[in-house]
Amino acid sequence: MKMNSAFGKQEERAAWLFVLPAAVSLALFTFYPMLNALTISFKEYSLINPEAVFVGLANYSGLLSDPKFINSLLHSFHFALVVIPVQTALALGLALLIYRSSWVTGLFRTIYFMPVVIAIGVASTLFKLIYNQDYGLLNSLLGFFGAGPVSFLSDPNLALYGIMLLGIWKSAGFFMIIFVAGLNGIPNDLYEAAEVDGATRAQKFVKITLPLLRRTLTFVIIITTMDALKIFVPVALVTGGGPADSTTTAVYYIYKVAFQQMEMGYGTAAAFILFVIVMCISIVQLRLLKTDVEY
Amino acid sequence: MIAVALISLLPIFWMVMGAFRPRQELFQYVSLEWHLFIPVEWTLQNFIDLFSDSSKPLGRFINNTLLVAVSVTLLSLLFNSMAAFAFSKLRFRGRGIVFAVFLSALVIPGEVTMVPTYLLVHAFGWIDSFRALIVPAAVSVFSIFLLVQFFADVPRELLEAGKIDGASWPGIYAKIVLPSMVPALITMGLITFLGQWDAYLWPLIVINDESKQMLQVAIATFTNLQATEWGKILAADTVASVPILILFLFLQKYYVQSIVNSGIKG
Repeated sequence: MKMNSAFGKQEERAAWLFVLPAAVSLALFTFYPMLNALTISFKEYSLINPEAVFVGLANYSGLLSDPKFINSLLHSFHFALVVIPVQTALALGLALLIYRSSWVTGLFRTIYFMPVVIAIGVASTLFKLIYNQDYGLLNSLLGFFGAGPVSFLSDPNLALYGIMLLGIWKSAGFFMIIFVAGLNGIPNDLYEAAEVDGATRAQKFVKITLPLLRRTLTFVIIITTMDALKIFVPVALVTGGGPADSTTTAVYYIYKVAFQQMEMGYGTAAAFILFVIVMCISIVQLRLLKTDVEY
Repeated sequence: MIAVALISLLPIFWMVMGAFRPRQELFQYVSLEWHLFIPVEWTLQNFIDLFSDSSKPLGRFINNTLLVAVSVTLLSLLFNSMAAFAFSKLRFRGRGIVFAVFLSALVIPGEVTMVPTYLLVHAFGWIDSFRALIVPAAVSVFSIFLLVQFFADVPRELLEAGKIDGASWPGIYAKIVLPSMVPALITMGLITFLGQWDAYLWPLIVINDESKQMLQVAIATFTNLQATEWGKILAADTVASVPILILFLFLQKYYVQSIVNSGIKG
């Protein structure tokens, strides 16, 4: 359909008006802060002392030799390295159990999804009580099996695992739903053909399900990695980074430096380093998991 | 299958039941038996304490959070759907480039922009004001991106028919596009609302005045009180969760749809 030019002009003007509020907001609250973050990261910047001094790369070089920052990065990596495989396998396993719709699977799907709906602040305060050494639910249950009592949150070797368990409990259901959508996208006749050829369940999973699920799997792994490397709220609420900084993750460290010690330049430089690391990992993952299977 | 269901549910069940127990009972039943979960003596005292405590009035925190979450949801539905409508249905020069610039914002993480955004909000004099929570959250590129996918299903002929009938573009948007997009708008609204209901870090940074605090930050401060206030913590957790769980059960279809869309098309 050919439009006359008055019509087109009018449409063009309308379009810009429709985009305007969003564009202004993005410019003000995303792009401008991003550029400003870069300059702040080169300064010794603090709200208490408004005389910002340009220090060049000093914040960056200081961070890279700051054991507290390096350790916080290592804790984030440790967290991610456990959570990514465990949570992804669990989410996929649950999805395989319930992806065909029926009355029963619908019920279980709802149940598995319920922790996702619980706010992270609520979940964190709740798990803080569950992990309590004397009266917490977990130790009550462990006591039944003759184990414990274990003080999950005051042992530097265990506390991070407590945060991991909370994270997985809260998020597995979310990724399960994404896997369910992926599984339902696989044409059923492929399985039927495999059955005719006498394939076992394991063979069908390895030869059909996994390859065709690769797009979904890539998405889940990349998102999980980003979330895991940026874990913050459970750390802030359950352990406060302790004991002995054993659960201080990168974002918690950035928050502490920027908003408690008010060293905003140093904190922002740390955020940039984390950003670059996360970005590089995502790009590598995307390359490695790149799929060439079509269906 | 049932074991995982139990693990999913037990903490929530323990939380809700714990909220109805008198204080000493929580510390009394710590072995695996019936009363680890089911209160012996049911009480509403924890809830009464929670809402009558004038130093930490939970009702007020809920009101604050509802006010902010509803404002953000309405504003973001309006602004995001307007932008998504223009990007998916209107023809204008530079559309591709502007959309690409919008999408590039998806890569910018909140952790990096946190300090400068705080400084900006501070310069506007918005610290301790709900504006600091509402205005920066009103536009989300992720929402625009998802809405563009939804809008793709609306045929342009429908819009041009409206045009021939003499309707203006804002008229077409309000009378033809929005009514046909109600399920998508419910989905997006739900994501936005829950995101605000869950917000912790940003309110923690920009709100210092306790009477203006948001729910999640307020609940977190309960745990900093004396460790024996378990009943109150569990009751606060319950109050903050049960309405959302009920909302979820009713709107499950939309909620799940939002995740499926972000997963498949993302």
